[in-house]
Order: sequence, then structure tokens, then C-alpha cells
Amino acid sequence: MSVQSLEIVRSSASTWGGLTGVRSLPVLSKYIDSSSCIGCKACEVACQEWNDLPVVKTSQVGTYQTLPELDASYWNLIRFEEREHENGFSWLMRKDQCMHCGDPGCLKACPAPGAIVQYANGIVDVNADQCIGCGYCATGCPFNIPKFHEKTAKMQKCTLCVDRTRLGLEPACVKSCPTGCLHFGTKEDMLVLASQRVGQLKKNGFAEAALYDPPGVGGTSVITVLAFGNHPEWYGLPKDPSIPWTIKLWKNVLRPFGFIAIVGAIVGAFGHHLYYGNKGHIDPAPLDDEPPQA
Amino acid sequence: MSSVRQQIGLDVGALKARDTEDVIVGKEIIRHRLSSRVIHWLVADFFFLCAATGLPVFSPVFGWLGNLFGGLAVCRVIHPFAGLAFFASAAAMFLHWKREMQMTAQERGWVGPKLLEYLRDKANHDQIGKYNGGQKVFFYTAALAALGFLVSGVVLWFPLTFAGFLRQLAILVHNVTFIAFFVSIVFHIYLGTTAEPGTFNAMTRGTVSKAWARIHHPKWYRELMGTDK
Ligand code: HEM
Ligand code: SF4
Ligand code: SF4
Repeated sequence: MSVQSLEIVRSSASTWGGLTGVRSLPVLSKYIDSSSCIGCKACEVACQEWNDLPVVKTSQVGTYQTLPELDASYWNLIRFEEREHENGFSWLMRKDQCMHCGDPGCLKACPAPGAIVQYANGIVDVNADQCIGCGYCATGCPFNIPKFHEKTAKMQKCTLCVDRTRLGLEPACVKSCPTGCLHFGTKEDMLVLASQRVGQLKKNGFAEAALYDPPGVGGTSVITVLAFGNHPEWYGLPKDPSIPWTIKLWKNVLRPFGFIAIVGAIVGAFGHHLYYGNKGHIDPAPLDDEPPQA
Repeated sequence: MSSVRQQIGLDVGALKARDTEDVIVGKEIIRHRLSSRVIHWLVADFFFLCAATGLPVFSPVFGWLGNLFGGLAVCRVIHPFAGLAFFASAAAMFLHWKREMQMTAQERGWVGPKLLEYLRDKANHDQIGKYNGGQKVFFYTAALAALGFLVSGVVLWFPLTFAGFLRQLAILVHNVTFIAFFVSIVFHIYLGTTAEPGTFNAMTRGTVSKAWARIHHPKWYRELMGTDK
């Protein structure tokens, strides 16, 4: 963590001193081709193993999906959706995890200094020791990713294997994937691979195939090719995600306005006193306790 | 009896103010009995506890306030309980004062232009009773704020129970309530202290001078002196 602190470009609730940004690094990216995922869950297992996460009790949701939702101890979930469409019917698999947004809503909403940081390489990471478990990050995230540990209430989510990628290794999930639907590298390279795949899919009859790299959150470091790119909601993805307007209103408008209003009130009270003096001294009657003559 | 007490220095005004109010004692008038003052200061103390543990969440600029309590994580634990205590004491305050705070038709004007008139020393005080319209407006502001804090605060307290848009809304309500109420509090404190000398005493010792009453609350003064027509 101490070495990486040189690479922090954004830090939650930090006025100054929280950022270093000494190093500039190429933005890294995980590219997911949802169309070649076979739903084998090797990546789920690899994630649990590498991050040494405890066993989470699975639950039968009537599909080939391990859990209904991500969990504080389950950061990677292959979502499964059975979908009928005009050309027949498809099983849609999508790897659900933190998207590592360019403009992370979790970080914007978090009130704890340094609890959520973004490194120069685009990874959004959580410092559990700073987290106060308030849950604001979940309110700011457009993808419903942050989950909270039952006992400690700390937020936990995918780190993009920050401890592997630092050393030049690919994330554990990418390493384990048997079909080659997961790739890792610089975002530049991944965009090239992804657009090749989109071209292939289009040729194969998926006219609406597209890359999901939503500009509303500044692009993401986890980019996903969707065969039905015009229907991200089929995959459980929001169509045009951005940081909720309420969170922006709170941080960008109300907070500065609040400062101005409170300081203004204090200055106003002082000003009032300087200008008008003590109220009551305008009363012409003498300040004794006798009632004025009627 | 009382003359002996006066000779040996017993403070008759303060003693009487333990359980009576709206009575004249010598040159003083008892304005707030002990229970009123205790309730007022409970509300005030819990408000400041809430503010001190909430402000570091509002902005890291106030992180030093959080450090007084052992850091942000401790604030996160204390704040909601302080909030409940604030609400409970504010509710008690509401019940305690609500009869005296009923607004007359003319006093409604205090929500707008009359308040400015008052601040510019242009208001005609002659018909002002124990509480003026501004004080009554502030009383209802406090009640409303306590309710707003409670409802939104409970939603923020349990992030796992409440999620989604409700929580976004709660953040906004808590924040707007805070800003609006804090601004009101600044003026409340100003008007209760330096703006009007003698006022602070009403909430500490419980008494005001007759002159103070005649200047600021003439109708109340006349009622107590028996000179109200
Ligand atoms: C009435 C019951 C109240 C409850 C249950 C409550 C609860 C909460 C909770 C759970 C939070 C989230 C962060 C944290 O836990 O520290 C919060 C934030 C906050 N609270 Fe309260 N609170 C209450 C009353 C108050 C009062 C009376 C104040 C007045 C000073 C206040 C001021 C704040 C502020 C400034 C924040 C920071 C959030 C922001 O920036 O908008 N709260 N409150
Ligand atoms: S997906 Fe959610 S948790 Fe991940 S970086 Fe974006 S806002 Fe934060
Ligand atoms: S739960 Fe932790 S990471 Fe999330 S907003 Fe609160 S302090 Fe930040």
C-alpha cells in the first residue's frame, strides 16, 4: 500500500494531501467477452481462492447462477439470464463485478478520507482500515457493487487483483478462464481486441453487438462485449449509467451552498450587530423598571 | 422569612424560578422555570453533539471535530444515538411549549416581511406577548427539523435495510435540514446573546429585568404588571 500511495489520483473525502499522482501509469483494463462465456464459474472459484475469501453459502435461484447478488465475500458473479428474442433464444452470461469506473460514484459519495482511492492505472480500491461502514458508497454506485461485511460493516468489492496486477500478473479470474473470454492489458489494447470481437459478432449475425464502456461514468476499466448491445438491461446492466443526480446535487451544489449559507449567517449576524448595535437601545424610554406613564 | 434570606444573600429570584414562571420578584421577572431551561439545554447539547459528530461526515474540513470523539468511525456510532436523544428532547420541548407557542393570525406575517422589519429595528413591539412571532416560527422550525433529521437519519443509519433511491433522498433531506436548521440556529444564538443583552439570562438563571420585558415583550410585561387593558 505504501508504494502504491504514490499512484493515487483520487481519494475519497480528501481536501488536500490525499493525492500524490506522482507516477503516471497506463490505464489497465479487463475485457470480458460475454458471448464466449460458458458459465463454468472457474473465475468465481479463482477469485475466492486468490483473495482468500471464506465460503459463502450458495442459494438456488432457479438458474445457473451461484448467488442472487454479489456479497462482501463474493466479488465476482456470473449472472445468468434466459432470454427469448426474434432469432430464438439465448442464455446470457455476464461477469458481474466492480467496473472500476473512470469517475467512480462510490468514491464521490464516500465521507471517509482515503477509504476509497483510484490509482493512476484506473483501479478503484478500498482501504478497509479507513472505511466506517456508512454505506454511502453503495448509494453512489450506479452498478450496485459495494457490499458490506456482516460483522465489521466494512465495504468489500473486487480490487481488480491490485496485488497481482501491480507485479505485472493478470487478475486471478483472467488466469483461470478456460475459453479465453477474459483478457487483461492496457485499456488501449483491450479496446482493440474488443472492437475486433464486436466486428466478428456482427458478421455472425448479431447486428446489435456492442462494447459496454459507458461514457456516463467516465468509461470503465472493466469493459464487456455484449452480443445484444442494444439491450444491456438483459444482462443486468443499466443502459446509460452515471453517478446519481442526487449524489451530484449533494456534493457539487448543496455542500458548497451549505458552507456559504452557514458562513454567511455568521458573518451576517456580526454585520447586523455592527450596524444596528444592541436591540432595545432604540427604545426612547429610560431603562428603569417603572412602567411608562399611560 | 424571605427578608432574612435576602440578608444572608439567598437568591430569591433563582429559587423561585425552580418551579414558577411569569411572576415578578423584586426588580426581576421569572421568565423560564427550571424544567423549561433544562429541556432547552438538553436540546441544545444534543444538537451540538449531533453537529460535531455529523460535520466530519459533511466535509473532511471538519475532520478535527471528529477527532475529538476518537475519529470518524466513532462518530458514525455516536451520531445516530445522539440524534435519537436530540429528537427525544426536541419532542419534549414541543409538548412543553406548544400551548404557549400557538400563533395568532397576525403573527403568521413573521414568516416573511415582519422578520426583516424586526431585524431592521423597524417593528412595532407594542402587541408582543411572552413570545414574538419570530420565536414562534423558530419553535416550529425546530420541531420540523427534528422530524426531518429523524426520518432521514434512520434511513441512513441502516444501509442494509434501506437502499436505492430512498437512501439518496434521505441524504438530501438530512443535508437540506441540516443547512437550513444550522442557519436558523446561528441567528437564534445571536438574538439570544449579544443582539439583545439580558436575554441569555432568561435561559440560565431564568429571570429577566423588568426593563427588558417592557422593551422586548411589552404586552407580556403589561399582563404581569396588571396594566394591560
Ligand atoms: C434525529 C436523529 C438523527 C439520526 C438518526 C441521524 C443519523 C445520521 C446518519 C446515520 C448519518 C450518516 C453518517 C453518520 O452516521 O455519521 C448522518 C449524517 C449527518 N447528520 Fe445526522 N442524524 C440525526 C440527527 C442529526 C442532527 C440533529 C444533526 C444536526 C447537526 C445532524 C447532522 C448530520 C450531518 C451534518 C450529517 C452528514 C451528512 C451530510 O453531509 O449531509 N444529524 N446522520
Ligand atoms: S462499479 Fe461501483 S464500486 Fe466499482 S468503481 Fe464504479 S462506482 Fe465504484
Ligand atoms: S461504507 Fe466505507 S467505503 Fe463505503 S462510503 Fe462508507 S466509509 Fe466509504
